[in-house]
Amino acid sequence: MTLSAMASLWSKISAILPPNEDQFPLQFSDKVESSVVEMLKWSRQQLYHDTVSTSHMLLAQIILDISWERLNTGTWRHVDKEWRRVYSYGCLFKVASLCRNSPTEDDILEAVRTCDMGLLMGAAIMDNILQRIVRILQNKIRKAAKEEAEDDHAKVKRIKPESRLFPVIKEELAVPRLKCPSLENFNRNYLLPLKPVILEGVIDHWPAFNKHFWSIEYLRSLAGCRTVPVEVGSRYTDEDWSQTLLTVNEFIDRYILNRDGVKTVGYLAQHQLFDQIPELKEDICFPDYCCLGDGDEDNITVNAWFGPGGTVSPLHHDPQQNFLAQVVGSKYIRLYSPEDTDKLYPHQSQLLHNTSQVGLTVRRDSTC
Amino acid sequence: MRWFGFGFNAFGQICVQEEAESSSNAANEVKVISPTELSSHGDRSGCRGRICRIRASWSSRACLHLDEESCACLAGFATFISSEFRGCKDAFITESFLTLAFPDRVESWDLQKKEKTPSWTMEIKTQSESSDVNLPLVPGGYVALKPPIYHSLSPRLKAKSLALGAEHSILLTATGVVFTWGMGSHGQLGHGDLTSEEEPRAVEALWGMPMSSVASGGWHSVCISDGGDLYVWGWNERGQLGLPSRGLRKTAQQQQQNSSQQAGASCQEASTSSCEGLQEEQKHEEVFISIQAFPALLDVAPSCEIQTVSCGSRHTAAVTTVGDLYTWGWGDYGQLGHQTLASLDEPQRVEFFKTEQMRVVDVVCGTWNTFAAAVKEEVACT
Repeated sequence: MTLSAMASLWSKISAILPPNEDQFPLQFSDKVESSVVEMLKWSRQQLYHDTVSTSHMLLAQIILDISWERLNTGTWRHVDKEWRRVYSYGCLFKVASLCRNSPTEDDILEAVRTCDMGLLMGAAIMDNILQRIVRILQNKIRKAAKEEAEDDHAKVKRIKPESRLFPVIKEELAVPRLKCPSLENFNRNYLLPLKPVILEGVIDHWPAFNKHFWSIEYLRSLAGCRTVPVEVGSRYTDEDWSQTLLTVNEFIDRYILNRDGVKTVGYLAQHQLFDQIPELKEDICFPDYCCLGDGDEDNITVNAWFGPGGTVSPLHHDPQQNFLAQVVGSKYIRLYSPEDTDKLYPHQSQLLHNTSQVGLTVRRDSTC
Repeated sequence: MRWFGFGFNAFGQICVQEEAESSSNAANEVKVISPTELSSHGDRSGCRGRICRIRASWSSRACLHLDEESCACLAGFATFISSEFRGCKDAFITESFLTLAFPDRVESWDLQKKEKTPSWTMEIKTQSESSDVNLPLVPGGYVALKPPIYHSLSPRLKAKSLALGAEHSILLTATGVVFTWGMGSHGQLGHGDLTSEEEPRAVEALWGMPMSSVASGGWHSVCISDGGDLYVWGWNERGQLGLPSRGLRKTAQQQQQNSSQQAGASCQEASTSSCEGLQEEQKHEEVFISIQAFPALLDVAPSCEIQTVSCGSRHTAAVTTVGDLYTWGWGDYGQLGHQTLASLDEPQRVEFFKTEQMRVVDVVCGTWNTFAAAVKEEVACT
């Protein structure tokens, strides 16, 4: 192979882009004003010109800035999907600009970050092209990292269970445990009467416990450079709680391994990590019991929760039935019957109406 | 009086390159960082005479010539409609509409559709109705940023002027009372919380202090009191309120880190410096404000009175009674006029006019740019 490594990166990306300007779609509803569409057309034109021009990045940034302003207008729920698509196009043009002419390692990391911003804030365009591009970029990064670490046979470190005190749970209050119950047993005795239950043995076969044992090293190698949303602060009802964006590497360094000595808690919470990083999805399986829920399988939301000890989700209820699969570490869970809702003083505000105003504290050595 | 523009210019709304080819739009200098005098449109329309007023959107600019024969002319994206409108007395331009006020009517042109006629018209019948027109205010209501174009307003409000933000509105009444309504999630309504208001609600914190003008950015509001004090509230994400902004400091820190990484510093060093940065923050215990939900008095410059204020989406520009122009907020496109692309969370004087010995008399902001009118100082300052 005589092509330089970086040139082959651009040829791989070019290969999944439309072959020419005419076949590059830019269709929007009239929610997107003509002036913005004009800007998008200029960017598209630049993409298919051979010219090495500094304006590629500039035009992409204009599209990102104007769509960012629209994404911050009105409530997130009501933001028109068209503007999220515009944002994704901005990300696409920026990635092209970064990868086109001898990108450095930093350029590639910035391109991965840009794809992630598009996946997090944008809406899928051109057959989810950002997802396909980030795959190409990640392969490049992993290959480079492998070459660097060839002499370094680091052992896969299992995350040690913390030696800590656990609350002792009174037998009569404990959530019952069943080993691999039949679908019928689970449905009749637990799902329909809305009784919580712990299912044991049901996820032992997951690759996350076997072939691709989930460790910090494994997560880093798979997704270290990917950007994820992190909640900072003890709980989302606190005044100083906030959300930020970090790479998985930064999150692990600062909040799991605590390398900075930062005192606050950081939680990768309720994030559709498996959509962002499809390779991780292959390590888990949907429990058969999910088919018993209302609605079809497309209504199953899969979220990931990854954090250090000491993260707290305040007492709340969810609109959907949940399966919580604990893969690494342990979690203490307190449940109350929906009949006790009034005694749990839900917040009045629209934003927190599913959350109790009662702060629960659990002493680690106490009996509950 | 001469008008100068600086900031976002991708559509040529400040100035156009002489040799701009038809398809190569990148030939326009996208970021005009140095205040540039607006040309007298020698190349295009017949609009002559001095520019009295300017209105600007993200992609376009409208100039009003009101001396002998009033006329409006356009620059930037919207010129595809026409480059001039004779007899026009006022203009209001957004990305969706161009609204023009004539002595006998108000009309709106839809910028999405390339039609030969305006998409909305309102007749002006009487002299008193004519004085009700102060765009976007029109008799009985106002024209909005996007469809539906017309919204009615209660006559009890006695609306004198109206400013429209991305998701809120701020109104000044004939008696100097400020009303706000719309989304409140960024504190832009000034009622002390983040709830939205469907109907105009008086800003109680300003009660008893008559205001003389109001202006609105994307997510922030400003007003000037009769005594020349400036009040600000809303989102301070880029320092547009002139109050300490965490978002600004973080970006500046990241930019410093990026340049040190490029210089060859290892990842280990970079993480140490970010740790130091955090510790420094904790030491100084600086109070950052990201949302200001109540009006706050902003000290623009020591012992000065504010005459005029205008806002872009995330920046603010103010003219003092002695003719200085101060700007602050988002600066990525050069819209602050300090000949850099830095954003600022503290008001800073635009030195260009001082250097040129000019006194600034008016300022109008487009979404990402700023236009200032200035006259030559008659007496040199000592």
